[in-house]
Amino acid sequence: MERLITGIKNLDYILGGGIPAYSLNIISGSPGSGKTIFVQNIIFNNARNGLKSLYLTTISESQLKMVRHLQGFEFFSNDLLGDRVIYGDLGAVLRSQGASEGLDYLTRMIKEHLPNIVVIDSVKVIRDLFPDEKTFRAFVFELAAVLSIWEITAFLVGEYEEQELTRLSEFAIADGIFHLYGQEEKRFQKRYMRVLKMRGTSFQHGEHLFQIGPVGIEVYPRMRPEGEELRYDVKLGRKEFGICGLDEMLCGGLLEGTITLISGATGTGKTMFALKFLLEGAEKGEKGVFLSFEEPVDQLQNTARCLGWEIDKYLAEGQLEIKFISPVELDVDKHAFEILDMIGEKKVERFVIDSISSFESSVTDIQKYRDYLWAIGQQLRRRHVTTIFTVLNEDLFSPLVVSRAQLSLITDNIIILRYVEDNSSIRKVLGILKTRGSNHDNSLREYEISPEGINVLGRLAKADMLK
Amino acid sequence: MSEIIEKRIGHYETLLREMWTASSKYLGTFSMNLLVERVVWEVSLEYKEIELLQYDQNGISCAKMAARLEENPDLPVEDMFMKFITRYVEILARLLGHERAEEIRKRLDEEFAGDLSASRGE
Repeated sequence: MERLITGIKNLDYILGGGIPAYSLNIISGSPGSGKTIFVQNIIFNNARNGLKSLYLTTISESQLKMVRHLQGFEFFSNDLLGDRVIYGDLGAVLRSQGASEGLDYLTRMIKEHLPNIVVIDSVKVIRDLFPDEKTFRAFVFELAAVLSIWEITAFLVGEYEEQELTRLSEFAIADGIFHLYGQEEKRFQKRYMRVLKMRGTSFQHGEHLFQIGPVGIEVYPRMRPEGEELRYDVKLGRKEFGICGLDEMLCGGLLEGTITLISGATGTGKTMFALKFLLEGAEKGEKGVFLSFEEPVDQLQNTARCLGWEIDKYLAEGQLEIKFISPVELDVDKHAFEILDMIGEKKVERFVIDSISSFESSVTDIQKYRDYLWAIGQQLRRRHVTTIFTVLNEDLFSPLVVSRAQLSLITDNIIILRYVEDNSSIRKVLGILKTRGSNHDNSLREYEISPEGINVLGRLAKADMLK
Repeated sequence: MSEIIEKRIGHYETLLREMWTASSKYLGTFSMNLLVERVVWEVSLEYKEIELLQYDQNGISCAKMAARLEENPDLPVEDMFMKFITRYVEILARLLGHERAEEIRKRLDEEFAGDLSASRGE
């Protein structure tokens, strides 16, 4: 099937390669939802590839005003105006001469310019010019037929609310429906789009985040936790921490391609364990990425240096990469997609998110948070990336709570780090709660973090210290 | 109308009607009209006389064309009609996909062996 490539980041991926050619698509959404920019982005991208677009306005917003607003975007090009992007006023014709003359005007414009794309912005205004639903429906039907016979891919832009999408006649005639909307989520004002219909092609259902920035529209496809069968090859190789006692407890290290949760209270050293895991990989020539939401790169470098680790060497060689993202700026929808992109691009073998508790604080509900982690975990397993998620356990002394959100279900291995009291002093112990597909040592062992690194010591003698 | 002209035009009229019948089951008569309108407009940029082609929801007729041919027997109707048919099938192929268009072309080929092949330069 011939397709119109939108050129918008990730949108063609969602649409299975683009919008089916000669289809009639409705772009719906409230005022300010980004409809006009969405369509303008598509037509300018296509203009650069030699396609011609006819943009017919029906509202009072002048061409000058629209062009002025578009000038700030990178996709806009003044040189394409009038040649590849042609503006016309359909509204004036419809208001003064009626619907039938409107179609004649459209046909005349098509014959004059032979466009590949036609946009009518807004079709909702046209609807209001008709006395009843029946005549409007006939008009839209005729409009759709004219556009498809002239091999035109059409976009009808309209300020429709979601409840209108199921009952208005234009939506029955449309081949494709894109609904754009925004909502407040925690500290973010977020924009989403859903493809509600796309005849003749499969597409990714559900809510996809999009952003409007200097480049124009960028879409971040929804992470898909459900519905896909989890299939991946099980690898039997091990990835060591390089921490002698711990690797012993794990019977040689973490199984390749598994997800490990390191849960611990503040100060127990979750970050250091995870970082050591990447440094050990780097020494063996395996690429590692550390995604930090808590400590900036300099701080991590300093701590690692204090432990005698050669972090600077591996950072310089590119074997290790640390990315710091402030949790204030963290947008899970966007970053989850970027993480997977980065891992694929850089052929990462070991990966750490420190900590996923920061993810949780930016997501509206706990189920969505779990879904995201499940989806990311699934994708990482498929790519055979051995991954560590660290998670903060707010209860300093309880070993029973791994994480508030019951994340243990999405991980293969769980390592807990906790404090115990001993003769008026606080000591640190670690234990392995589970390792999927492998044996592990069940003992609780004391450990210390010193300038020599991380040392796992002997078994904890007094287990009754555990509360 | 002379028998020769009637025969010349009649041949193409049958071809167009066959084409109309074959494709209207896919497009519907409304879109058929629009398609013919488009092709007439495109061919008219070279042959103005194609605008004499009559068509509506009920079908297609070359009666006016035949009358014009009476007045001007040098009218290049063969080339004009073949351009019309070729263009029509080209658009149809893009709209319906090559498989459907090929079915229609095959049917026309069988009915009018030679004409379409010649128009495609085979």
